[in-house]
Amino acid sequence: MKSEIIGKTLWIKHNGETWATDLSELDEQYKSSTKKKTASADQILAPMPGKITKINVSAGQSVQIGDVLIVMEAMKMEYTLKSEIKAEVSEVKVAANQQVTLGELLVKLKPQ
Amino acid sequence: MKDIKRVAIANRGEVAVRIIKACEELGLETVLLHSDVDRGSRAFRMATHKVCIGGAPSSESYLNIENNVQGAMAGGADAIHPGFGFLSENADFAEACGKAGLVFIGPSPQSIRLLGDKISCKKLAQRAGLPLVPGYEGEDQSVKTLLAEIEKIGLPVIIKAAAGGGGRGMKLIRAMSEAQTQIESAQRESKAAFGSDKVFVEKYLDRAKHIEFQIFGDSSGHVQHLFDRECSVQRRHQKIIEEATSPSLTDDLRRQMGEMAASIGQLAQYKGAGTVEFLLQDGKFFLLEVNTRLQVEHPVTEEVMGIDLVKMQLQTAQGKFIFPKNFSNRPQGHSIECRVYAEDPFKNGMPSTGLLGTVSWPEGPRRRYEFGFEKGDTITSFYDPMIAKVIVWDQTRTAAIQKMIQVLQEATVFGVHTNIPYLIAILSHGEFINGTMTTRFIETHFTDGLTIDAKKTVERKDLAKKAWQNLKQEKSQSTTGEKFVLSPWSGFWRGV
Repeated sequence: MKSEIIGKTLWIKHNGETWATDLSELDEQYKSSTKKKTASADQILAPMPGKITKINVSAGQSVQIGDVLIVMEAMKMEYTLKSEIKAEVSEVKVAANQQVTLGELLVKLKPQ
Repeated sequence: MKDIKRVAIANRGEVAVRIIKACEELGLETVLLHSDVDRGSRAFRMATHKVCIGGAPSSESYLNIENNVQGAMAGGADAIHPGFGFLSENADFAEACGKAGLVFIGPSPQSIRLLGDKISCKKLAQRAGLPLVPGYEGEDQSVKTLLAEIEKIGLPVIIKAAAGGGGRGMKLIRAMSEAQTQIESAQRESKAAFGSDKVFVEKYLDRAKHIEFQIFGDSSGHVQHLFDRECSVQRRHQKIIEEATSPSLTDDLRRQMGEMAASIGQLAQYKGAGTVEFLLQDGKFFLLEVNTRLQVEHPVTEEVMGIDLVKMQLQTAQGKFIFPKNFSNRPQGHSIECRVYAEDPFKNGMPSTGLLGTVSWPEGPRRRYEFGFEKGDTITSFYDPMIAKVIVWDQTRTAAIQKMIQVLQEATVFGVHTNIPYLIAILSHGEFINGTMTTRFIETHFTDGLTIDAKKTVERKDLAKKAWQNLKQEKSQSTTGEKFVLSPWSGFWRGV
């Protein structure tokens, strides 16, 4: 087995397979320090670092299930973030062409 | 012919390393034209000279013609190698190099325009009597016209970037309801990747194989084909696994397609390395496109043919490469290439970025690794996710597949997730093993990427807990009295 800590992640290679485990899952000591926002149907977070290429909605607008909220780009591929719920857009936190980090809050929805 | 002593490289990552190595073997100095964030890369550490040509976004650096030409001049280069992607198929760039007195290592701007723009390429192929896939390639690029043309051709269709390649700006449309969104998305991706939003529409062949022929035009103007590769394993129209030669061609098809590939090149007065791509369905082949550059998958051709295409490119630019009159090299054995992408196969291919830890590519006979990043380098979201290529050669296709699986299992990449488990799953699939896979192989068998079962998740967590306890214990023993602080870069190892 090979193992290595990079940042706050433990990487392991075992029997030809590689995986990564967040230290917060392994040790109490790291739990408090990682206040991770969790994605939910009414909080659209960036699933990866990248650039916002298109914003389809604005505050006050109502959206249906499956409506495209935001298009973002990372590593030269486009990713589409859709609404999982019927809702009203309460806030758009980003602008087109903005660079965002992993887990950054992009859009807040108010379920209807 | 201008004497070439120093070559600028208008590219990054593994291909920049590949070009630097070829230059070194020919006794040429190199100038790496790099962006701000690419100082932490293997090519940067290897190049003789470096010139920063702009910011991280490609539009400010790798796609900026002026900055690349200026950078090459400032670095004292005589020639520019464009690699693949970025400006490699941009005729304006080739022309700008020429005007600045730099030798562009590739075909002439005229050849690039003729073949590289897929629309004029199709016209040339029509003149040459080559079979084409039905489609729309008109100048009217309004969404309305494109929608009408799609109706005419009949679904499914594929939308492609006219200036493109490599899957960017390509969209498959199976239902008219999604057509408009897909057209707009293709136009945006095309604009971002190639600087032009021009697209064209083509009938989608739904059980075709992707077969391509390497062509090469030497210094005397002779164009030779160097046999075929099969690249049917594609996801979102981006190749993942390539091999030479194709397991699907009969001798007769191979001869016909090879001759045709060479003749298109000859018609376009092609110089240097290029690729003629075909779709093969039910024993009939259609011209797909011609790529006027070195191809990502060029190593598999090199392995079976026993040649070095990048050195041949450099020597052709120097006016020194001419095929021998009796050139009769035939492909030997079988070679496979796997593209290693920084993405999480268990999250449906989500890009994965971050600081690289241990990266190891185990040595062995006829195993070849093309990689641009090492421990301590950072994989960013600005560029293509391909971080390395693994190439193997063996006597037979079966042996090569077996070898590739073994090699991938031995390789280690820490710091970013990779598609290695995905590659192994593909290589182990019956349809890949018997060689009958089509371009729909991935969407048919691997739609949602990979999943991991609950039992394995628990096992992995238990192993992680043990490893973490061991690491902590070791650290506290080795640094007696010191407070155990976990630095963001504290790589340590243990064998268990």
